[in-house]
Amino acid sequence: MKTDKGTAANSEAEQSNENSEKGLTRRELLKLSAVAGAGIAIGASGLGTILNVADKVEKKAAKSSAASLKEEGIAFYGKQQAGIITAQQTYCYIASFDLKTENRAEVIELLKTWTKFADLTTSGGTLKSLDNDLLPPNDTGEAADLGIANLTITVGYGSTFFEKDGKDRFSIKAKRPKYLEKIPHMAHDSLAEKYCEGDICIQVCANDQQVAFHAIRNMIRLSSGTATVKWLEEGFLRAPADKTPRNLFGFKDGTANREHETEEGYSKIVWAENGEPEWMKHGSYLGYRKIRMLLEIWDRSSLFDQEETFGRKKQSGAPYGKKHEFDAVDVSKLPADSHVRLAKKTKQQMHRRAYSYTSGMDNQTGTLDAGLLFICFTSNPAVQFLPMLRIMGKMDKLNEYTIPIGSALFACQGGLRPGEFFGQKIFEETA
Amino acid sequence: MKKLYALLLSAVAAASLVACSSTTGTTSSSNKETDKNDKATTIKTEVKEMEKELQAVEAAVKSEDKKALTDKAAAMHKHWLEFENNVRDVYPLLYTNVEKYETPIFYESKNDAPDFSAAADNAQALKEALKDLENAKETKEKTSEVIEQAVKNYQEYVADQAGLLVDSTKAFTEAVKANDIEKSKEYYAESRVYYERIEPIAESFGELDPKIDARVNDVEDKSQWTGFHVIEQAIWEKNSLEGMDKYADQLMTDVLALQTEVAKLTLEPKPMVAGAMELLNEAATTKITGEEEAYSHIDIVDLNANVEGSKVVYQAIIPALNENDAKLADDIDDAFNKMEEILAKYKKGNGFIAYTDLKEQQIREISDQLSHLSELMSQTGKIF
Repeated sequence: MKTDKGTAANSEAEQSNENSEKGLTRRELLKLSAVAGAGIAIGASGLGTILNVADKVEKKAAKSSAASLKEEGIAFYGKQQAGIITAQQTYCYIASFDLKTENRAEVIELLKTWTKFADLTTSGGTLKSLDNDLLPPNDTGEAADLGIANLTITVGYGSTFFEKDGKDRFSIKAKRPKYLEKIPHMAHDSLAEKYCEGDICIQVCANDQQVAFHAIRNMIRLSSGTATVKWLEEGFLRAPADKTPRNLFGFKDGTANREHETEEGYSKIVWAENGEPEWMKHGSYLGYRKIRMLLEIWDRSSLFDQEETFGRKKQSGAPYGKKHEFDAVDVSKLPADSHVRLAKKTKQQMHRRAYSYTSGMDNQTGTLDAGLLFICFTSNPAVQFLPMLRIMGKMDKLNEYTIPIGSALFACQGGLRPGEFFGQKIFEETA
Repeated sequence: MKKLYALLLSAVAAASLVACSSTTGTTSSSNKETDKNDKATTIKTEVKEMEKELQAVEAAVKSEDKKALTDKAAAMHKHWLEFENNVRDVYPLLYTNVEKYETPIFYESKNDAPDFSAAADNAQALKEALKDLENAKETKEKTSEVIEQAVKNYQEYVADQAGLLVDSTKAFTEAVKANDIEKSKEYYAESRVYYERIEPIAESFGELDPKIDARVNDVEDKSQWTGFHVIEQAIWEKNSLEGMDKYADQLMTDVLALQTEVAKLTLEPKPMVAGAMELLNEAATTKITGEEEAYSHIDIVDLNANVEGSKVVYQAIIPALNENDAKLADDIDDAFNKMEEILAKYKKGNGFIAYTDLKEQQIREISDQLSHLSELMSQTGKIF
């Protein structure tokens, strides 16, 4: 079953999936251990044997296994980057990197390395090692046999990538997209610099957390010496097929996405406008906010208060005065400072792709450290994103229960052609 | 370095166990330890596989089957990405050749209407590039003699440092016994430098390292705690050397015992290289967190000494590295230089400013560079 809603990317997804037979799925491994006999445990020492048996059996089964793996995988190459309008996967890692070099060639080298790894890992491959056990293995290995799990890797660039402290550090200032700015201070913000902005952003999403972690972990490893991680967040969000996922307040999050889920809608809401630098064509802006949610306070609030805060019914997701989640919102029926009313008031749309996060507890207060990694994609954040933040910072009833602690804006380039590397167009056009 | 050596032996043993159980193995894992041709062998196995994949690509090109070309080129591309790094390490020139023809084939195969004749030309060229790779001889010289010399040089360094440690510890313990706090502070820091430069060696002598260097949390029974850090606590936290005489005597005895052990030691190349890594790991775990010198806060002194000790190993193996991977040698050189530049910012007198005076950002900067250096040093096993 295809999960990518992008149209151009789909045919390629199917085609590239057939090469997945090298990675054994867990199911296949179990099947094989049954073939090999009950005496073989899947431990470190038994693995060699199983894999060898696997080699033989697999060749016979290659066709059918390739077919079964066909459901997995989202094309890495395509008109647009995967992970933007791709159906939302369950797990996400989003990392912001700061470049530690002022050398253009080193940045290009890193982007090339990342591209190759992203290509490899999103098609289910792993880095092989030399036959020398005095060296660390090239691949960290934890995702072996787990499949692809719809892994996507999306790259975006922060404003400091193009210019930092007034310095055109990599001679690419001219290629800075129109709306790429540091997000200004908003009322009610309680931002910590360590959760904000950064030179390059990598968003990794997958339906298997271990697969997603493996990808971001190795991207971090591969950046050694050139970039360091400024912040790294881990998110989750799951909903039954065709239902809107719920955030940690128990309310549906992203209902309005339904309104623009057509090619036309995406081109209006998500994809960059004409007049942007060439490399942004089929690209988008990733707006990010790390929002701590005061769960204990919320959980002590009456259902009435909770619903007044959003302007929607908690169970059904229906707007006030309506019966069903997707019924048109009648703004006049909503409480004046409710979240949905304020959002509608801006008359702007965005593509929401948020994840929840939990991070243990706050020892000082004994409350849960949890909230929302708000992620949205827009064609023009100056119109679709920032005004919304401004209004909500000032008026939103949700502010009683939320604190923005992190903030960032990144420009995500268009998709890659095979042979192209991340950022290639930015650097080539300025060469 | 008995501990390290034992670890290595057990690793080899484990590897051969796996080899025994794999009767139909496709890669030769019989003796991973020494055979320099192994790298080449692994690559050749992969190249043969890739040649088969290329044949499938060529067949698709010949029959002008767009779908088959896309599939087969993607399969070959994925496989190439999996092992290209290894090729680049061992045969940098041949690597470029393969890359030059492989990428366009993959690119072409993704086109809606691929140019089959261009693909055929590239496939032909790729075939030759792969043939070259398959027949490539490793240009590497015999490195065993170079490494032997490296070990000899390093062994002399270790003996030197052990001697300096003895002298400095003598001055330190005498100051302690003379109840001279200021002098104790001075010689404490100095002794730590010599110890931290060769710490993995000390760790290989079983009981000696904990007796000399245990922190309070390392011991089960606090009454059994001895060594530098007991006296460190007395100097900086208690501000009194009362009752420290017996610890000073014990420390001197243990440090002398260490010197005797060092003199008897015959170093092996692999543990030497592993030891360099261990020094950086030490720096990156207990020193960068300020846990090592909990009372004196001279953690950066220790950290710097760890880096210095590690650099000596690196310098000893430069000739061997140059024969294997000159680029790695250059990168490591840069990384050590940068590490030193960063640390130099915090120099104060003969030592460094207190760990507690460092800002969070500054600690992060040191840590980032240390990580990068460690990442590179972890590749020095290539010389074997």
